[in-house]
Amino acid sequence: MKLTPKTAIGVLALSAFTLSGPAAWAQVETDEPIRIAINEWTGQHISANIAAELLKKMGYNVELVTAGGLPQFTALAQNEINLNPEVWDNSVTDIYTDGLQTGAIVNMGSLGLEPRESWIYPAYMEEACPGLPSYQALFDCAEAFATAETFPNGRLITYPADWGTRSKSVVEGIGLPFNPVPGGSEGTMVAELKSALASQAPIIMMFWQPHWVFAEVDMKWVEWNEVEGECIEEEQVRDTACGFSQASVNKIVSNNFAATWPNAAAFIEEFTLNNEQQNIMINEIDQKGRSLKEVVAEWIADNEATWTPWIQ
Amino acid sequence: MSQADAIQTVPTAKVRADVRAGWLAVIVFALLCVLAQAQFDWLETFPEALQLPVEAWFNIGMDWIVANFRAVFQTVTLVFTYPMGWIRETLHWLPWSGFVLVMAALAFKARGAGLPVFTTLSLVYVLTVGLWTEAMNSFALVFISVPLAVLVGFVLGVWGFASKRVERALNPVLEIAQTVPAFAYLLPILLLFGFGPVVGLVASVLFAFPPMVRNTILGLRDVPSDIIESGQMSGANRAQLFWLVRFPAGRRQILVGVNQTTMASLSMVIIASMIGGTADIGWEVLSTMRKAEFGASLVAGIVIALMAMILDRITFGMAEREGRGLEHRGFLKRYGFWFAIAGSIALLIVLRPALPILGAWPETWQIDLAEPLDQAIQWFILAFKPLLEAMKNSVIFFVMLPLKIGLDKAVSPFTWGFGWQPWHTAVYAVLVLAGTVAAIHAGRVRLAIAVVLGALVLLVGIADMPWPASVAILVYFGWRMGGSGLATGTALALSFLLVSGSWDKAMLSIHLTTLAVLASFLIGTTLGIIAAQNDWFSRLMRPINDTLQTMPPFVLLIPIVMLFKIGDFTALLAIISYAYVPAFRYAEHGLRHVSKDVVEAATCIGATPMQLLLQVKLPLALPNIMLGLNQTIMYGMAMLVIAALVGTSDLGQEVYVGLSAGNFGQGFVAGLGMAIIAITADRFCRAWQRNHEARLQKGAA
Repeated sequence: MKLTPKTAIGVLALSAFTLSGPAAWAQVETDEPIRIAINEWTGQHISANIAAELLKKMGYNVELVTAGGLPQFTALAQNEINLNPEVWDNSVTDIYTDGLQTGAIVNMGSLGLEPRESWIYPAYMEEACPGLPSYQALFDCAEAFATAETFPNGRLITYPADWGTRSKSVVEGIGLPFNPVPGGSEGTMVAELKSALASQAPIIMMFWQPHWVFAEVDMKWVEWNEVEGECIEEEQVRDTACGFSQASVNKIVSNNFAATWPNAAAFIEEFTLNNEQQNIMINEIDQKGRSLKEVVAEWIADNEATWTPWIQ
Repeated sequence: MSQADAIQTVPTAKVRADVRAGWLAVIVFALLCVLAQAQFDWLETFPEALQLPVEAWFNIGMDWIVANFRAVFQTVTLVFTYPMGWIRETLHWLPWSGFVLVMAALAFKARGAGLPVFTTLSLVYVLTVGLWTEAMNSFALVFISVPLAVLVGFVLGVWGFASKRVERALNPVLEIAQTVPAFAYLLPILLLFGFGPVVGLVASVLFAFPPMVRNTILGLRDVPSDIIESGQMSGANRAQLFWLVRFPAGRRQILVGVNQTTMASLSMVIIASMIGGTADIGWEVLSTMRKAEFGASLVAGIVIALMAMILDRITFGMAEREGRGLEHRGFLKRYGFWFAIAGSIALLIVLRPALPILGAWPETWQIDLAEPLDQAIQWFILAFKPLLEAMKNSVIFFVMLPLKIGLDKAVSPFTWGFGWQPWHTAVYAVLVLAGTVAAIHAGRVRLAIAVVLGALVLLVGIADMPWPASVAILVYFGWRMGGSGLATGTALALSFLLVSGSWDKAMLSIHLTTLAVLASFLIGTTLGIIAAQNDWFSRLMRPINDTLQTMPPFVLLIPIVMLFKIGDFTALLAIISYAYVPAFRYAEHGLRHVSKDVVEAATCIGATPMQLLLQVKLPLALPNIMLGLNQTIMYGMAMLVIAALVGTSDLGQEVYVGLSAGNFGQGFVAGLGMAIIAITADRFCRAWQRNHEARLQKGAA
């Protein structure tokens, strides 16, 4: 591998992929590697690696680069990372929204994952709070979810403070007798969930799907009223509460992407992955302990009919 | 009574009367504030009209710098990207056996026989858990950031040594660099230097260079004048005097700086990973932490701890050895060892194609330690949760809540079994008054003041105390401790918190750190005292302390959350588990270094071991113990940001919100607030120390 500043940024452990790239399917526009962001969760690893493998089949050079959730947008805007096929727009910040507006980063459309965000609780809580899954039940059984710090109110774990305060808006809007407690970070939220399940303790928390944790635990969703149009968290009353506006998962590329790799851009526009496909693979990796590389290779081998049209 | 005695007592009595009047005024003022709080909003929250848009100013300044100087910083990035890449490639190209050999050789040179064994075993652990590639990426960062930080620190240190004015200007800069949490300046570094490992490098150098500056100044300054004079007499010119006389004489202290810089740099490895682009051990810890995989994150965290311990022992060993072996030796004797090492590595590389095991650790030799660790924590939760829950609740109800929101609100039927009634306040007031009178009667005026103030804080709560009352108490206390300098400093610090609108969050931070520091100090000092008396306990605790100190603190959050849930108590425990270590070390060090003559003398006159400890050793070790308190405060503040990950709502959380919202001003103001609190606390500790020394001298005279 030639040593340029860009390859030095690349991840050597993962860039083994680049070396083993198969013969090109088609003539590619440039040898310049497409740098794909790798975030911290398995679902994103899968999306990124499938995209990487398929781009290699098209004959491109690919590098996988570890990137934090916020810094990656700076990198995308500066063309130091070129693609992240799975960006959740629920926990992004001004850098993302401004970037899309100014054209510093480009949205290539939805990945096809259908996220769901609401409050989750374990099945055993239905005994303590019989009216569930309707949110109306929570008004009567706040004490079932109470802890020492929040009594007599229930304890609701919300997203970390830096992801916004949507749960708090809903709780205040509909006057639910719950204290929203910010979760701090994804890891601590999952830790709390695992710990509560281990000891069958009461728990209710804001969460999102698809998430690898659902491959491990069985959780129920609080249900809300249907709503026409957008559900706005801040403007709800008890009887017509609609819960949360739902996120979307987008494929984000750098602003030079379409110009530098036009065929790759056409592929990225086509590329999709749904909840079910991703959940199965997440389960194989996180639960059955198989390697990411192996699971992705298997998916590619089994789904030739799906991806062949994308890359032509 | 002689005349001299009479003259001395007159001013002291007057000063005492003044102090009493002063404290009385402060206490009355604070009480009035508390009573009037319900009537006047501005007593409770600092009026918004008086707040300044400090956040916006920082953002404007930063935008301007980014707009005008980005190109300069990008060049720096480009310059450093190459060497970083080379070191990385070299480490990956080197067979593992070769790397182990080099490290073991360095260890042998630094410390003799024992350390190479520890080094080798540690690296074999890294191989066994399958994190070699990641560890090499981390080493690559450290191997470039340490020399860089040492260079920057050394140059600044020499400059500070040469010019008093430069030293005075450097001091606040060093302090800010060490106390503002790195998260607060991560964003501008990212914007200026662009995405990639260089950002981590810059953050790491910024955090790691201050100890090098301090130790360089100290080392160069403390060279005995007779050495310098003999240099001058031999006719050395200025450059010779510096490089051939002063520098070698101060080298030992300078190497201590290298040691501290190395450790600081390693502690930044994990923060650097938050940016990304590194795929190192820090990233591994963060990813597993995000998945709440305790076992896997502990396995990776221990790798960082081991790396830190190896580098610590090697650099420390070199500092210790300094001064020995300066005699002239032949070329072969001097470099023969290194030639042998280089030769062996060459041999390993030649043999690699024939014996692949030398280059790649077989996958079948890897062990999955994460699984059993996860099972252990599961079992522990199930077995001890009720007990731990009860413990946690009593701490929250009887200590944390009262201190935070005051007894009047914390006492409720659910927590204490009854509600707080007006007559409770009356009884409380009578009890406090009785205690105060008793203390004054016994001549313990200071105790009386402490009782009144403590009772007031406990009744109202740190977070609910009217701000003019808090300001008055702290500023007057500062004036008593350290005169007008400390009082002005405290006033300025508190004004910044008020004017920038961080007061409320700052009070929450102070609440959490006060508790955490008190607990850490008690636990650490007690354990340190035990360790000073029992060698086996000291040996047992050493690796535990080292691990807690060097392992990324994130790793501890998961198990603590699993046991105690998200919230302030968890944050408290997380801070304690990190901040008790300095208290431990300074207490043990202080007690072990009490002069032997004094101990012998006390034993001769028949002191029991307990008397020896309480009446001889502890008072003599007090300055050291207080130094430990000072460090505990610093560590506690540093841990606040990490504790925000388990859901606190103080300044630490603000730093995060600022970072993830891309709002530099917000995060930096909060970070600066934390630095200001830490620095002010440090000044109080130092003032105490000065007073203590003055008292001792007076007593001796």
